[in-house]
Amino acid sequence: MKVDTFGAVDIAVSGMRAHTKSMEVISSNVANARTTDTGKGRPYRRLLASFKTQSDDPVTGVAIEKIVTDKTDFQKILDPGHPQADKSGYVSMPNVHLPIEMMNLTVAARAYQANVAVLKRYQSMVESTLELLR
Amino acid sequence: MINPTPNIASLNPATQPQTVNTVTADKTAAFRNTVDTVKQQISKVDGLQKEADQSITDLLTGKNEDITSVVSAVAKADMSFKLLVGVRNKLIEAYKQTMQMNI
Repeated sequence: MKVDTFGAVDIAVSGMRAHTKSMEVISSNVANARTTDTGKGRPYRRLLASFKTQSDDPVTGVAIEKIVTDKTDFQKILDPGHPQADKSGYVSMPNVHLPIEMMNLTVAARAYQANVAVLKRYQSMVESTLELLR
Repeated sequence: MINPTPNIASLNPATQPQTVNTVTADKTAAFRNTVDTVKQQISKVDGLQKEADQSITDLLTGKNEDITSVVSAVAKADMSFKLLVGVRNKLIEAYKQTMQMNI
């Protein structure tokens, strides 16, 4: 089996990149948690990043497959004074739940950190291998 | 044990220098191969260094905003450069030891 010296680097970096993107998605969700109009008169829909493997090879990096929207119902909040309120005084708010986003934020941050740890450890492994040359 | 009847053919002065010559030629070819391999490695490492440089420039000029690709390019360039330096030190050391040999 052929060993690629930079394989671990590429895979760890792909993980860092994927989790950066999911961090971006989470920040979009948090920023738009109260956005009632996305330009089409509809509230903001929560976004989800779905991951897939980079290739069919069993040992491979991760890539963002696509960013999908969360199809769950919007939250209804009673606010008769709101310009977007319906006849009974309810406003449709995005289906973003901040506690869930905070959880996902921690998951993304920790996953990023884990990939950095892999990269660091691999670098120190290569360095200690090169020590053998001395 | 010393052979009382040495093979005369192996001591024949007409054939001896020729074998030495082929051995030297073989050694020279092998050394040349090593040098070529090192040259190839140097150009590979140089390529990775240039790639890292380019990705840093792209990041600083705003052409590329993905910092992870810079990290990847720099990590690769660093690792391969360290390997090259290790091989170089080994070669220089071997050369020095050969030169210090008493003949």
